[in-house]
Amino acid sequence: RFSRCDALIYTMVLNDCVSAPDKPRLTSCRSPEKETFTCWWEPGDDGGLPTTYALYYRLENSETVYECPDYRTAGENSCFFNKNDTSLWINYNITVVATNALGKNISDPVEVDVAYIVQPNTPENVTAVVVDDQGPFVRVSWEKPRTADTRSGWITLLYQLRVKQEKDKEWEEYDAGMQKYYNVFSLHPDKEFMVQVRCKPDHGFWSEWTQPTYVKMPDYIPRERSLWIIITIFSIFIILILTWTLNVKRNSVKLCLLPPVPGPKIKGFDKQLLKSGKSEEVFSSLVIQGFPPTIGYDDLLVEYLEVYDNEEQELVLDSKDLSEVCMKSKSLSDCDSGRGSCDSRTLLLEKCMEGREGSGSDQHQYSQHGETSCTSTESSECQGLEPGSPESSDGRVKTWPVVFSSPQPHHHYQVEAVKPVYHSVPEILNRSSPHAMPTNYHQLHHQDIPQQEGRFSKPACRHSQSYNQFNLDGLDTPAPGVSPSRSLEYVEVQRVNPENMLLLRPLSDPNREPEGSDYAGEDYSKVKEVTSNNILLLQRDTYHQCVDDYSQDLDSQAGQCTTQQPPHPCKPVIYQSNSGMPQEGMRVMGNGYVDSTVLMPSY
Amino acid sequence: MTQGSRLYFAVAVLMCAFVTINGVVLNDLLERASQLSDKLHSLSTSLTNDLDSHFPPVGRAMMPRPSMCHTSSLQIPNDKDQALKVPEDELLSLARSLLLAWSDPLALLSSEASSLAHPEHNTINSKTKELQDNINSLEAGLEHVFNKMGSTSDNLSSLPFYINSLGQDKTSQLVNFHFLLSCFRRDSHKIDSFLKVLRCRAAKKRPEMC
Repeated sequence: RFSRCDALIYTMVLNDCVSAPDKPRLTSCRSPEKETFTCWWEPGDDGGLPTTYALYYRLENSETVYECPDYRTAGENSCFFNKNDTSLWINYNITVVATNALGKNISDPVEVDVAYIVQPNTPENVTAVVVDDQGPFVRVSWEKPRTADTRSGWITLLYQLRVKQEKDKEWEEYDAGMQKYYNVFSLHPDKEFMVQVRCKPDHGFWSEWTQPTYVKMPDYIPRERSLWIIITIFSIFIILILTWTLNVKRNSVKLCLLPPVPGPKIKGFDKQLLKSGKSEEVFSSLVIQGFPPTIGYDDLLVEYLEVYDNEEQELVLDSKDLSEVCMKSKSLSDCDSGRGSCDSRTLLLEKCMEGREGSGSDQHQYSQHGETSCTSTESSECQGLEPGSPESSDGRVKTWPVVFSSPQPHHHYQVEAVKPVYHSVPEILNRSSPHAMPTNYHQLHHQDIPQQEGRFSKPACRHSQSYNQFNLDGLDTPAPGVSPSRSLEYVEVQRVNPENMLLLRPLSDPNREPEGSDYAGEDYSKVKEVTSNNILLLQRDTYHQCVDDYSQDLDSQAGQCTTQQPPHPCKPVIYQSNSGMPQEGMRVMGNGYVDSTVLMPSY
Repeated sequence: MTQGSRLYFAVAVLMCAFVTINGVVLNDLLERASQLSDKLHSLSTSLTNDLDSHFPPVGRAMMPRPSMCHTSSLQIPNDKDQALKVPEDELLSLARSLLLAWSDPLALLSSEASSLAHPEHNTINSKTKELQDNINSLEAGLEHVFNKMGSTSDNLSSLPFYINSLGQDKTSQLVNFHFLLSCFRRDSHKIDSFLKVLRCRAAKKRPEMC
């Protein structure tokens, strides 16, 4: 104050410095409805003296100066222009003059066009109601400010609202356009919210916010029912479609999941009977009447046919060798001739391979099986069925080898690197000349087999092909000794002829054609008959002695073979011999087995 | 007689339908026109703000008075009471007259905008072009409205614009540009107001909007 006492006017009354007033300043002019407007000014320093303020205005296209018609309505330091004094789209040049005793001061002029200074009043009657229609939400509704005339279109208002919780910092704003209500969704349950609304003309300023309106959301659990309903309906629909599809394709589904199990295809086998559970009847059709021939063992017991290999040939069994033998002989077998596994040379080999420890026995023979070898059960059987055989005490299992040697000069057939399985062939020759046997007997030893019963598997018709080595050392010529100079010769069971005769062929036959070819061997052994105890009686050729042989478990073997290998019926293939059949031919059973009832003492 | 009365009835029904359909169409037309005019005014306001951002203070002193606008001779209602008394077709013709009066000046502004001595002359240029397009659209729309309203006479006021150049020097060019723009801004506000009044008058079926 003192610094302003430039004029150094010092009044005695006030004892203070006074001066002319400061320039007032027009702060703003506003029109709430585009029909009236108000201007406010800010008075400056009054200079210490009572100062009056006057507002003067001038319209743009005239020089006439008017004074403010109303200083009161709008309050202190304001000027209110009523409807009559308000014109749109015309510039008002407004000034405020401050006057006091010492002078006056004029504010800077302000150009005002009422059209541009529209700022409506706040909306009124804001209400917020919780609606529980589809999930609780808040419906906020309000009314336009009283003064605004939107009805005629003179003013167009746009509304805006904002929501927040008491504690929140940020407001959530929503634009409501020209409508006077708004639905607020996704408000948190069990919370209190405050709502405010404001409005704006199409070209103008925003109004002030209304006073907050409070609304409390109820406590509820959001149940997104509609989504779950849709999901449920959809899944039911899918399930129905799947069920219907499955129903339609019932048969093919059943075929896919439960493929039909092939039934047994045994001639004469009745499945229905099997299902009914009467096994006796089922198998009765398979049983051949009169087979096995119920002939006493004693009648059939003949001496074993002993077959010796050349002891020089190392025919010690060896597991490895066995496999080699088996493999080799297997490879040598002919697939096409039908001899197959039943006719295999290595059948016994394989069999013995399993059960055999491999002992170097001087009685090594190859035995040729046309059928499955003795299994463990068979081995015992085989054992047991050789009561009369002196060699049986060795524990050799007598198998059913169909071996017969042709009366050829003794020479050994050497199978390269073949270590054969040795089987003992029950002697079929008369025991009367045991020592002369070597040349006459074919003995097939099954050695060490009983001990390996457990290891005895059923190589079945598939596997073992063992050579039957026979000492074809001149059956005609009596050999001096048995063991040392026994010569063995291989005989191969080639086929079973239609008369169910087992034709053997010595492998050492020079005339022997390559494997697989059908050839008529000169030398062959025929199965004369099968005994009741499954002994195969071999028959030599016409000019040979017939040799009986024991075969063990022929039937069972054959049967097993049959059952095990349906596609390969165990029929040893024997080639028809040119030399004709012996007189005492074998009687062929209906089921392919030779009839052992026909005995022929051929020696 | 029955035949004649039937014919009369059919014609009346057809006319009612026509009027009803026309009314609806008129309402939509006016709605669309209001939107265009609103856009027009918003554009002009933003242009004015762009110009004001870098306007030399000396230019303000040089600014011609608003009464110097070439459309100031047009008699228009200045307040609400006057405006609400004006009949629709007159309001429409006022709006159309104003609009027509600005075709040429905006073309001039367009041509001069690119060479304006203003840092934001690119934005100004593009907005001016947009302004021109909008005016053309609104003109066409208002002509449709006029046709739909079925006024007998087309009393459009002629408001000629004789200025071919905004000025030789940069400052005067800028100042004149600004002045023209301000005139246009005001006139666009008038057009917008009149059309919105018309809109509310036609939209008797939508009282909630007005």
